[in-house]
Amino acid sequence: MEKENFEKKLEKMTKPEMPQLKHEDMLADAIINAKDQSVVSWWWLSVPLFIIMMLLMRSFYMPGTSLISNIHELAGKQKYMSLIFFLVSPIVLIVVNLLIIRRIYYLSGNPKPVNFLETVWFNVLIILLSFLILIIYSL
Amino acid sequence: MKFPWFKRIGIFFIPASVAGWIILLAGIIFAVFSFLDIDGRSHSVSDTMINFVFMLLIIGAVYSVIAYLTSRVTNK
Repeated sequence: MEKENFEKKLEKMTKPEMPQLKHEDMLADAIINAKDQSVVSWWWLSVPLFIIMMLLMRSFYMPGTSLISNIHELAGKQKYMSLIFFLVSPIVLIVVNLLIIRRIYYLSGNPKPVNFLETVWFNVLIILLSFLILIIYSL
Repeated sequence: MKFPWFKRIGIFFIPASVAGWIILLAGIIFAVFSFLDIDGRSHSVSDTMINFVFMLLIIGAVYSVIAYLTSRVTNK
């Protein structure tokens, strides 16, 4: 009797299963974190982009001025503000977003380029815009 | 402290607790004061709007950093 019960117990026993892998959780966390960080990046990027847009409009309506000359004028008048928004902020955003992309790439485990780009396209866009701001500022 | 204070919806961080609402209210009050200040010093509507939008973006950038840092849940 006891032996039969033990056999029934053995039949019911299965291997311990892990329904979700740890790295899947880590990847999901990394993607959510990347989206949150890209929103913060977008807000910080919107300030220099707004300034550039306003200076571009100014160069259209004021004859004899250009975007570059307007940026040089702004950099002369507002030294610290232009340094923060046109140099420090884009560099920080490039570094942060590159780290996010790198983390997602390693956690994904050699993903297909299309799927990977679908996940990180916003971070790539922020990096490209940050480079654009740096280029405009350095001209 | 009990986190998270905010939850993200699209590109906005929405308050999820009393502390979050206090921060959002402080941001709105500061935006209203800065609007009144800019409006008192500017010469035209476009002058007011350009300077106010710029100030609003800076407030939004600072708010997003605070919201991001306080929307994290440490479950380790």
